[in-house]
Amino acid sequence: MEEKLFRKLREDEKNDEFNAIESRTFLQSVWKDFVGNKRAIVGSIVLIIIVLLAIFGPMFCKYTYDEQNMSLRNASPSMDHWFGTDKMGRDIFVRVLFGARISLLVGFVAALINLIIGTIYGGIAGYVGGKIDMIMMRIVDIIYSVPSMLYIVLIMLIFGASVTSIMIGISITCWIDMARIVRQEVKSLKEQEFTMAAFVLGASGPRILIKHLLINTMGPIIVTITLMVPQAIFTEAWLSFLGVGISAPLASWGTLAQDARELIQVYPMQTVYPMIAICITIFSFNFIGEGLEKALDPKKKR
Amino acid sequence: MSSLVKPLVEVHNLVKNFPANHGQFVHAVNNVSFTLEKGETLGIVGESGCGKSSMGRTILKIHEPTSGKIIFDGDDITNYSRHQMLPYRKRMQMIFQDPYASLNPRFTVGEIIEEPMIIHKMGTEKERKIIVQNLIETVGLKPDHIRRYPHEFSGGQRQRIGIARTLALRPEFIVCDEPISALDVSIQAQIINLLEKLQKERGFSYLFIAHDLEMVHHISHKIGVMYLGNMVEYGFSDDVYKHPLHPYTKALISAAPIADPILSREKQRIILEGEVPSPLNPPKGCPFAGRCKYVTKQCKKEMPKHYEYDGRKVACNIYAPENLEKYSQVGKTPEQAVFE
Repeated sequence: MEEKLFRKLREDEKNDEFNAIESRTFLQSVWKDFVGNKRAIVGSIVLIIIVLLAIFGPMFCKYTYDEQNMSLRNASPSMDHWFGTDKMGRDIFVRVLFGARISLLVGFVAALINLIIGTIYGGIAGYVGGKIDMIMMRIVDIIYSVPSMLYIVLIMLIFGASVTSIMIGISITCWIDMARIVRQEVKSLKEQEFTMAAFVLGASGPRILIKHLLINTMGPIIVTITLMVPQAIFTEAWLSFLGVGISAPLASWGTLAQDARELIQVYPMQTVYPMIAICITIFSFNFIGEGLEKALDPKKKR
Repeated sequence: MSSLVKPLVEVHNLVKNFPANHGQFVHAVNNVSFTLEKGETLGIVGESGCGKSSMGRTILKIHEPTSGKIIFDGDDITNYSRHQMLPYRKRMQMIFQDPYASLNPRFTVGEIIEEPMIIHKMGTEKERKIIVQNLIETVGLKPDHIRRYPHEFSGGQRQRIGIARTLALRPEFIVCDEPISALDVSIQAQIINLLEKLQKERGFSYLFIAHDLEMVHHISHKIGVMYLGNMVEYGFSDDVYKHPLHPYTKALISAAPIADPILSREKQRIILEGEVPSPLNPPKGCPFAGRCKYVTKQCKKEMPKHYEYDGRKVACNIYAPENLEKYSQVGKTPEQAVFE
């Protein structure tokens, strides 16, 4: 043995073995893996840029979203109007930026409602099981089977046409798929021995549900949320079309696409801009979701 | 067995039925009784589906018992709520059958072993980490395994992780639910040795459930043989293994493979005919009556009682006092009278 390669540990270094094996907690390692995932980071950055543009973008534009210029209708893109103008002579660029506010808000709210209500509702139904599960799932069936037109009419009557109405309209039904998926997953995970082990160890119901069952349902939960966001954006457009949501001159990506559809054969580009915006947003949501899913699943690491 | 020492676990006439379709019940555990002293191992053997695991789980109150009594260290825990059970959870634990399913895949090994201590609020975070360290070494894993995830380990290693998790609570009574049946033979021996070592050091009582009779005989002080939810024979390990009384135990022991080919060839095997009756609709009399060579009218009429014979309990009419009297009148043991 060469003397050079080895030396005695100093007294203060002796504890290093213990420090070296200090374990990272689950969330710490999830964070580290997420940050290490290029696509997830790109997705996050793009989404942050879109949010910032939606909030601050319209302030720095020459035009406002409702400023009409009747002499310059359906103009092609130019230096003045980057995306051209619509049938009322309004600048499409600023309208797309402005529309992001409502569309993103709707997307985030839907994702949040999905995550909170859908996951908890489905989780409890699946975990508790028995009669409570039966009752909870029948309630879901009832909500699902009432035609959405009925809700919309009711919402219209009570709240009128506003952003609040859209939120309510989307919140009523969007969590149902999530609740069903989570319930199914939890039901099958509940039978696994690690749940039984946690029970025998004396873990409380909420602890088993959150730490053992829901954490193992993360994959499907994230996929469902990522799919929910674009769906919510289009639901908003549909609700607006029916008169529940926002009305002109306010704009959202959904309504922009809807309005431009009338002129699609003459000015197809007007549809393309809001669609591109929606696409970019959905891509970044997907990338973030994929990154989260990978980071949350130890088997997919490295 | 002195009557002065209070047994750690007593089970009296335990019954567990699971509801099935059409208002029927699966009779998983039927009228099972036994006692387990401190530092003792009771082996439970029987074929698949005979209610061994259901019994182990019912004793730990994973399933609520239908009737009967479970007494742990003098306390009747049969009807305790989940909350009331909490202090007992520390003292009675379980090692699971499938090492692939019994560890949460999202937890690191360190978190898995630490969890029971967090649940029972034992020690500070630092103390817990040190205990985890010690446990990892106790079960023969390496310190740097703490940060890894269960899927990075082999079956045997995973079973060791499961054992370490169980040990974290310093239990007195451990139900081992076929802890080795999912492992290959060389690893089985390692795990058995580990369990035996821990018992010697810490005085655990085991309820050892398995279908490998040889292994159960090796590890247990007492053996209970189960058939269709009933404990048909219960006594000291050597007695049951070397001189089985119940016809089913005889068949079970004769079916065990022997490593010596010459002995194996000479050995007479008892071949059982027929199938195990369905636990949904168990027969009125002895559950083994349909496959038993020595069946009588009495067997089909009613479930035989647990008769005391030769220092153990047998649920077979051959050993009923009135029959024993008959044999002794002709000057024969039941062995000579019935089986020859």
